[in-house]
Amino acid sequence: MIEKKDGPSRREFIETVGLIGAAGAMGAMVAGCGGVGEQYADYPWPPLLDQAPDGPVLRAGLIGCGGRGTGAVRDFLSAGPNLEIVALADCFRDRVGSCRETLREEEGVEVPDEFCFDGFDAYERLLETEIDLVLMATPPYFRPEHFEACVDARKHVFMEKPVAVDPVGARSVMASARTADGLGLSVVTGTQRRHQANYLETFRRVTRGAIGDVVSANCYWNGQVPWWRERQSGWSDMEYMVRDWVNWTWLSGDHIVEQHVHNLDAISWFLGDAHPEKAVGVGGRWRRPSGDQYDFFSIDFSFENDVHVHSMCRQIAGCTNNVSEFVRGSDGYTNCVDKIWQPDGTLSWEYPYELDEEGEKIGPRPYRQEHVDLVTAVRTNSPVNEAYRTAVSTLIAIMGRISCYTGQEVTWDEMMESGLKLGPGRLAFGPSELVRAVVPVPGTE
Amino acid sequence: MRGALRWPGRIRKAIAAAVAATGRPLRRPFVWGVGAGIAVVLIFRGGNTITSTDSFCESCHVHPQATSSWIQSTHYATKSGTVVHCVECHLPPGGMAYATEKTRLGIRDAFGAVFKDRESFDWEERSQLERARNYTFRESCLECHPNLFPIELTDEGEEAHLHYERRSDELRCLNCHLQVGHYDPDAAKEIDFGLVEIADAEIFAAPARVEGFVDYTEFIPGTSVSFDVVAIPGGTFEMGSPGWEPYRGDDEGPVHTVTLSPFWMGRVEVTWDEFEAWYRATKAEGRTDMRQAQMSAPGVDAVTGATPPYVPPDQGWGKGDRPAITMTHHAAQEYTRWLSTVTGKHYRLPTEAEWEYAARAGTQSTYFFEGNPNQYTERRFWNRLFGADTEVLDSFVVHAGNSGSRTQPPSEVAPNPFGLVNMLGNVREFCLDWYAPDAYQDRAGGTAILDPRGPATGSEHVVRGGSFRSDPADLRAAARDRTRSDACRMTDPQAPKSIWWYSDCTDIGFRIVREMTPEGEPR
Repeated sequence: MIEKKDGPSRREFIETVGLIGAAGAMGAMVAGCGGVGEQYADYPWPPLLDQAPDGPVLRAGLIGCGGRGTGAVRDFLSAGPNLEIVALADCFRDRVGSCRETLREEEGVEVPDEFCFDGFDAYERLLETEIDLVLMATPPYFRPEHFEACVDARKHVFMEKPVAVDPVGARSVMASARTADGLGLSVVTGTQRRHQANYLETFRRVTRGAIGDVVSANCYWNGQVPWWRERQSGWSDMEYMVRDWVNWTWLSGDHIVEQHVHNLDAISWFLGDAHPEKAVGVGGRWRRPSGDQYDFFSIDFSFENDVHVHSMCRQIAGCTNNVSEFVRGSDGYTNCVDKIWQPDGTLSWEYPYELDEEGEKIGPRPYRQEHVDLVTAVRTNSPVNEAYRTAVSTLIAIMGRISCYTGQEVTWDEMMESGLKLGPGRLAFGPSELVRAVVPVPGTE
Repeated sequence: MRGALRWPGRIRKAIAAAVAATGRPLRRPFVWGVGAGIAVVLIFRGGNTITSTDSFCESCHVHPQATSSWIQSTHYATKSGTVVHCVECHLPPGGMAYATEKTRLGIRDAFGAVFKDRESFDWEERSQLERARNYTFRESCLECHPNLFPIELTDEGEEAHLHYERRSDELRCLNCHLQVGHYDPDAAKEIDFGLVEIADAEIFAAPARVEGFVDYTEFIPGTSVSFDVVAIPGGTFEMGSPGWEPYRGDDEGPVHTVTLSPFWMGRVEVTWDEFEAWYRATKAEGRTDMRQAQMSAPGVDAVTGATPPYVPPDQGWGKGDRPAITMTHHAAQEYTRWLSTVTGKHYRLPTEAEWEYAARAGTQSTYFFEGNPNQYTERRFWNRLFGADTEVLDSFVVHAGNSGSRTQPPSEVAPNPFGLVNMLGNVREFCLDWYAPDAYQDRAGGTAILDPRGPATGSEHVVRGGSFRSDPADLRAAARDRTRSDACRMTDPQAPKSIWWYSDCTDIGFRIVREMTPEGEPR
């Protein structure tokens, strides 16, 4: 074999640049947390490397083997060298099986039988295996309990948004997040906008005063029902609901929590990781094919200093669609992702996308980037923890949902003290009253 | 230097450099100055070390709680065998704050040791939350406990610490962890509140039968609990305080004439024995509030009972005939409704006018006994310096000066001319009326107003009288105050907050009155 002496290999180069870049950037990281309009000195994290630096093998386990979980594993494996998936857990054996099959065929990875677990307690057995890191992509109802168990087991975590479906769960995640801080664990959540170069560059400019002080904001996720399952014979009530989870409030938090949390998180971020003081919303249901959720929500959130944020989300096919954010300031406005305008509508800045061979813009790949950022944090020993702020964003969405369900004004203080906990008292497959849940009627409480 | 002083090499070089820089030879006084400075630093350092040992603290703090309760506490008997020393909690962790506090306390303690009588200190009083806050530093707690969310923390603990994080400007660690440094066996979490009946006592089968308008003893049926009720003759009095009264509040005027029909009033504030009888009897009847109960069964006039208290409601001070405390105004009213049901008489909270009439007991002076606030109050420097003669005051009222910072049994003081005990002190008392600062404004017409009631609506209720925590200036018969619903439930982490128990208010109780119907018969 001929040794190449004429320069560093690609791998060495990535390692070196990665470590220098990551360590430098994260060393300077500013733990931002403040009220509306507070200016950041800088926002250097994440470093947005193309690939995580090399290091000792990191072994991951996956909890929640559906489409997103399987995708998360593949994103993780591609994030850098020496990354392995060694254990799988899911409520359902067939889900574990299909995930395993995909990994075998697409990634050439074989997860042995003894590292495949199923049932509601599968995550406990997964945590007993020798893993360094857990990927979580179950329905959000399970997240608080699973996250707490992962932190107690001292595992680094990637977890999908949202992180809870009710105030008790959101606060549990806040507390576990603080515990994880104390243990030096890294936690990255699926709030992907915070891992996109275009959003990050826009945010940096906004925090340096590009639009002045924030005066109002809007955010939208108007689309259609992502999917639903017809009930199969032989499925118990519980099995049916968990397989159809994205349509059941106790499992998904409703689509304002499950999906719109992306936009609410971006708004909270641009307003300085702020949370609203109160919310009043309207919502209802007309078209949804299954479950107990609403079709649409429209909420007026008021933040500190009477900064109002309008949030609107809908899941009805055949209507005008829009997934975006908008923040207006005293000296201009932005779409948060790649453009900033002056007050008179003149474009003052646009993100310089790279173009491919056909002249198309190359967009960021946030799903993969999240894992690059997580592995980089772990390998450079510069812990990063997104769990608390994602719990805040989740609770903002829950707050909006509760206001729409009840028709009442809901305050942040109420959310931080509410005893509301959704779901069954005990998790078990079989008959469940929850399947007969009544769609909430505002004004009746 | 001829070897008179052998400076270490580095210092010698520095001196040489200084000499070279200034161009003048080093003078001997300068050398001695430096030496003296180093000596002073060493002496201070040594002094600081010596005066920061546990044994140095204990040489003066010989009172029973200090050492033995510390040794029994979780800060001495730690799982890891670490011992947390006096100064680690009772001084700030370091820096200027440490130096300042150390100096301040040092001067104060030295003064106390020389000029004050050690026996006269009320150490129990000083261990109560309000005082303990002054000697225990949050920064010191956080120095050793920087992580509020350790892995072993319970779910309840997590909720409580999230609550603390949001209110850290008002709350201290001590609000919830008062006993961690000095063990208090009475403070152990009480799980049997209201569950223990007094054994071998007579159980009353029926309530008292009262013939005419006389004093009587009421029996609570099905329990061994009884209490005395005093017949208060009707009459006319001047309500409020005149403008010249010392320490008067703006809401106490104008003075106006009020006539009251006869009524009965509890001789003492409602005791724990009485209040626990209600808790025992009704707690199983439901935990919904009145509104919900009526919604589910319209027309049913249900009496509701409290949820179990979060912490020992008596604060470990003892129950029995001490006044019941920490209940909400709502809970007090539910108590009177229940009492009315089981005794067949109409009991309720007193109106503000009834309360002041009863407190004055025929007098129009600031107190129903001799003396005035200027003579008693600790707010006057003169009185603080030379001590006020509070002998008369002490004989009639449990107040800050004689209470030891806690409620006392009613037998400790003498009654007023109506025979009522502790109207002005021991615990402040809920009234039936809503509070309004201008409640008296419309009443100044000259003619006597019969049985006045407070405003029709409001957000907080009237609270009258002083408490074991009050300065004599606040013990005046005319002094008015109100409930503070939010402040009284500051550390209650539930939502909605408890409608039955105050988490942060230990000095309010209540007393009952019984109405006369116009014919003189109970309603």
